[in-house]
Amino acid sequence: MSSRSAPSADQPLLELRSVSVSFDGFWALNDLNLVLAPGELRAVIGPNGAGKTTFLDVITGKVKPTKGDVMFRGRSLVGTAEHRIARLGIGRKFQTPRVYQNLTPRRNLELAVSGNPSPFHLLFGGLESPARERVQHLLGVVGLEPFSNQPAGGLSHGQKQWLEIAMLVAQDPDLLLVDEPVAGLTDEETGRTADLLKQLSGDHTVLVIEHDMDFIRQLDSQVTVLHEGHVLCEGPMDEVQSDPRVIEVYLGVETDDLDSVENIA
Amino acid sequence: MTASSPSPLRRWLPWVLIVAAGLILPIVLPPFRLNLLGRFLSLGIVALGIDLIWGFTGMLSLGQGIFFALGGYAIGMFLSLDNLEPGKLPEFFDLYGVKELPGFWQPFASPLFTFFAIWVIPAVVAGLLGFLVFRNRIKGVYFSILTQAALLVFFNFFNGQQKLINGTNGLKTDTARIFGELVGSDLMQRYLFVITVVLTVGAWLLCRWLTTGRFGDALIAIRDDEPRMRFTGYNPTTYKTLVFAVAGGLAGVSGALYTVQSGIISPQFMAVPFSIEMVIWVAVGGRGTLIGAVLGAVVINYAKSLVSEQLPETWLFIQGGLFLLVVTALPDGLVGWWRLGGPAKLQAMVGWPPRTATYPSLDLDPALRSEQGEGKP
Ligand SMILES: Nc1ncnc2c1ncn2[C@@H]1O[C@H](COP(=O)(O)OP(=O)(O)O)[C@@H](O)[C@H]1O
Ligand SMILES: [Mg+2]
Repeated sequence: MSSRSAPSADQPLLELRSVSVSFDGFWALNDLNLVLAPGELRAVIGPNGAGKTTFLDVITGKVKPTKGDVMFRGRSLVGTAEHRIARLGIGRKFQTPRVYQNLTPRRNLELAVSGNPSPFHLLFGGLESPARERVQHLLGVVGLEPFSNQPAGGLSHGQKQWLEIAMLVAQDPDLLLVDEPVAGLTDEETGRTADLLKQLSGDHTVLVIEHDMDFIRQLDSQVTVLHEGHVLCEGPMDEVQSDPRVIEVYLGVETDDLDSVENIA
Repeated sequence: MTASSPSPLRRWLPWVLIVAAGLILPIVLPPFRLNLLGRFLSLGIVALGIDLIWGFTGMLSLGQGIFFALGGYAIGMFLSLDNLEPGKLPEFFDLYGVKELPGFWQPFASPLFTFFAIWVIPAVVAGLLGFLVFRNRIKGVYFSILTQAALLVFFNFFNGQQKLINGTNGLKTDTARIFGELVGSDLMQRYLFVITVVLTVGAWLLCRWLTTGRFGDALIAIRDDEPRMRFTGYNPTTYKTLVFAVAGGLAGVSGALYTVQSGIISPQFMAVPFSIEMVIWVAVGGRGTLIGAVLGAVVINYAKSLVSEQLPETWLFIQGGLFLLVVTALPDGLVGWWRLGGPAKLQAMVGWPPRTATYPSLDLDPALRSEQGEGKP
């Protein structure tokens, strides 16, 4: 994970080619196409049930596409086991925070930071001191130092969100897939999360799914709008917001009242 | 977990007690009681394995009797062959008209082979079974049912194989000799007790080593959220297969020790209720505590033997009641209850003042007490 080969400038890091996913005849994703360049920061928005989470499930190997292909650095991911996809350098934060409840935040991070996930390494190899320092540093960044030695199950919702984001950063993947990171966070924490993700992009490629329009605006990135399992439109936030199709999807009527879009989202 | 290091006394006291028990009990206890204690202590080893896979990793196996019995049969076959006159077969073969020793018996004539077979065979069988199950992502209740089904398969197979392994009757070990001494003799049983103490401590150390470091963290993480582990690059199948094999190996050692101290190995060791009882020992002693597994096995079985001597019919009710009590009132088991300050709470409930140590004012000051409480693991 730490040894990443430099991708050539013109090769996309991630490419979804007409991906469709059917759950018993219901098409959660429908002919979805998307290209991510290395180092890019991308926001994905869309109403509830648009297929955003399913889209991450397809990339990370949790759901197999019914049709189409997912390419990572020019290599197909379809049929690859989840843990192998993760080892290729794709990390994920879940919509509802998922941390290991009975481990302390420090130990949660120590599992995530480990470069070598084999049992023998965990048994016989100690945690190298750079990794140890990284964990300490991340605990400070997300403000969990005072809680670092008590079970993570006792943390507040917001703290769990941040712990999971920290775990993702500790894992140091090339591609970070972040599902609704600021749900349940305060405005200030939301701002700090946006800063953190912006910092990460460049070195990393970051794809963020969010409902919070203020947050998306703070990210200041390209926006992809998903609707009924396919891409409705793509572009900078201002452009997307004034697109009549987006407004229709969000409001169900044609209007040019942009504020309403924000209220609903 | 990073509590201040315990005082030397607290650190060494358990070891002093263990060594003392291993040296003194064989002298002071009457042979009958010593033998019982040795048997129950050896059951603590299979319980340790169950704690490893259930308490830490979240896999409830109802089939540990398979691996327990495999260890028992390994030593049983060795003892059946040991000290035989050349050219003769173990007695039971005559009954079924078997004239030649079946091929799979032959290596058990070797003590060295048997020494390894006791734990390697159960570990390998557990590893293979586990790998197939875990690779197909069978979890939770389905896993428990599957292990019980496997247990029944083994039980029925061993029961039916008179010509191979003496079927229902099993193999007797009491009248066998090792180094010229009867296995059932008092002297031999005393040695076996000491060996059991040593191996129980060894098994506990092994489990402790497996569960305290980052490997142990990975096991707990698999119990808490297995898919999350996959998305971090870990392959839970490897981890689960490995601990299931270790638990199988421990069960084998346990079964071998239990066999030589009980005098027999038979398919009854693979009966369904026995494997369920093993799980109860761990639940009562305290899941995820290791020492609770050993205590649970010893205490419940000792209670069972005491009660059964007086009122044989009541034991099942007592055991069932105990299990219900623990599940409802002490979900962390006896050891978990103890560690979470149970005795002090009970004292407070009854109305006694808490017992105070050297500095009563320190112990009684609420502010200081709450601070001390935080350091506890
Ligand atoms: N495993 C599944 N089985 C059946 N339907 C599913 C499954 N996962 C998601 N869906 C359906 O697919 C649609 C898209 O879901 P999801 O990707 O979670 O949407 P979003 O994250 O954009 O809110 C929803 O209608 C949801 O009910
Ligand atoms: Mg979603």
